[in-house]
Amino acid sequence: MNSPTPQFVPSRLGIYEPIHQIGIWGENFKSNGNPNTSTSVIVEVDNKLENESETTSHEMLTASNNYKQEASKPIDKIQRRLAQNREAARKSRLRKKAYVQQLENSRLKLIQLEQELQRARQQGLYMGGVLEGSHIGFSGTVNSGIAAFEMEYGRWVDVQHRQICELRTALNAHISDIELRILVESGIGHYFELFRMKSTVAKADVFYVISGVWKTSAERFFSWIGGFRPSELLKVLVPQLDPLTEQQILEVCNLKQSCQQAEDALSQGMEKLQETVSSTVAGGPVDEVSYIPQVATAMEKLEALVSFVNQADHLRQETLQQMSRILTTRQAARGLLALGEYFHRLRALSTLWATRPPEPSLP
Amino acid sequence: MQQAIPYKSWPLPCIDATSHRARSTTTLGHNGRGKDVLNIVSENAVIVLARKGCCMSHVVRRLLLTLGVNPAVHEIDEENEAGILNELGTICKGTENNKMVQLPAVFIGGRLFGGLDKVMATHISGDLISVLKDAGALWL
Repeated sequence: MNSPTPQFVPSRLGIYEPIHQIGIWGENFKSNGNPNTSTSVIVEVDNKLENESETTSHEMLTASNNYKQEASKPIDKIQRRLAQNREAARKSRLRKKAYVQQLENSRLKLIQLEQELQRARQQGLYMGGVLEGSHIGFSGTVNSGIAAFEMEYGRWVDVQHRQICELRTALNAHISDIELRILVESGIGHYFELFRMKSTVAKADVFYVISGVWKTSAERFFSWIGGFRPSELLKVLVPQLDPLTEQQILEVCNLKQSCQQAEDALSQGMEKLQETVSSTVAGGPVDEVSYIPQVATAMEKLEALVSFVNQADHLRQETLQQMSRILTTRQAARGLLALGEYFHRLRALSTLWATRPPEPSLP
Repeated sequence: MQQAIPYKSWPLPCIDATSHRARSTTTLGHNGRGKDVLNIVSENAVIVLARKGCCMSHVVRRLLLTLGVNPAVHEIDEENEAGILNELGTICKGTENNKMVQLPAVFIGGRLFGGLDKVMATHISGDLISVLKDAGALWL
C-alpha cells in the first residue's frame, strides 16, 4: 500500500475522512508504517496541496494556513503536520481501544445480569416446587428467607468488590499499618457477616445453602458443604504472602494440616449422614403404600444438615482468624486481596463460560 | 500410626490386645443419671457424650482418632437426655461453660471441654494436642 501516488480525498466532505490511507511521498514522508490505518483520522488533503490549487483544501484544516506562507519551508511544515497526524491517529486508536474495552465490560455485565435473572426465575420455579410439595405452612417463611438472603448476598458481593479495590489502592499507596489494620479487620468481618447470613437462611432452607445455587457456577464447582474449602483457601493465599518467616511457614503448615483433618472429619460425618438418611428412607416394606413413617424419620435426621453447614462455616471462620494471627498486618491485607480477587475471577470465569460459543452441531 | 490406649483409672494400664481397635461405646441404662455420667466421665481421659446415631459425634470421633486419641463414646437415650443434661448443667456450673450443655459434649481429663465448636476451634489454633497431652490422653 505504499504507492507513491497519494490518495486524494474529495474536498469539502468534512474535516476528517477516517477511511483513507496515508499517501506516501517517497521515503521522506513516513507513514506510521501500518497500511491498515482505516481508523486513522488523517486527512490526505494536504498532500494534494503541492499538486493542486489551494482552494480545494485549505479551508479544511486550520493548519493548512501554514501552506499559504512561503513555499520555502514546506517540508518542515509537512513533517510537523504528519507528526501531528500520527499523534492524532495514535490518540484515536487509544480512544477506540478504550471504547471497545468498555463495550466488552458492558457485554459481560449484561450477560451476568441475564444469568442472575435466569437464576432468579429458576429460584421461583424451585420455590414453586417446594410450595407444591409441602403440606405445612412454612413455605411463606422459606420464600421470604431465601429472597432476603439473595438480596443481601448481592449487596455483600458489591461491598466485597469495593473492599478489594480499597485494599489494592491502600497496599500500593503504602499507608500506615494502623490504617491498614482497619481495612483488614473490616475485610475479615465481612466474611463473618456472610457466615451469619448463611446461618440464618440455613434455618429456613438448608438445601438451598448446600446446593450452592446462590453462587456462580465456577464457585459451585469448588463448593464443599455450602462454601469454600478452607484448605483450598490456604493454597490460594500462601503463594501471595511471600516472604514468610521460618516461624510463619511452620505455623501455616500446621494450619494446613489441621484444616485438612477437620475437613476430613466433617466429610466423613456427612457421609454417615447420607448413609443414615438413605437407609431410613429405604427402610420398611416397599409393598406398603404408606411411607410416611420413613420419610418423617428421615426428615428429623436431615436436621443435622443445618449443624454441618454451621460447623463448616465455623471452620472457615476459625481458619481466617488463625491466619490473621499468624500474619503481619501487611501480609493479612495481601492475603485478603488475593482471596477476594480469586473469588472475583471465579465469578468472571462463570460469566465467560456462559458465553462460550455453542458446540457446532453436525449436519 | 500409633494406637491410642484407652485410659483407665487402674494401677496398671490394661491393654486388651484383641479388642484394641474397639471403641468403648456404652449406653447409659434406663436409670442413667447425671451422677453416673460423672463417674464415667472421670474414668476416661477423653469421652464424648452423644445422642444415639448422632453424626456430629462421628465427626468428633474421627477428628480425635486422626490425632491418635481413641475416645470413649457414651450414647444417651432420648428419654434420658433432658434429665442428664440438667444434671450435667448443675454439676458443671461454676466453670466457664455455664450454658446448657449441648450434645455432643466432649469431656477431657474428667472435665467438660465443650462441643464440636470448641474442639474445632482449639484444633485450628493448634492447642488441642497439648490439651490432650495434659489430660494424659496422648503420649508422644
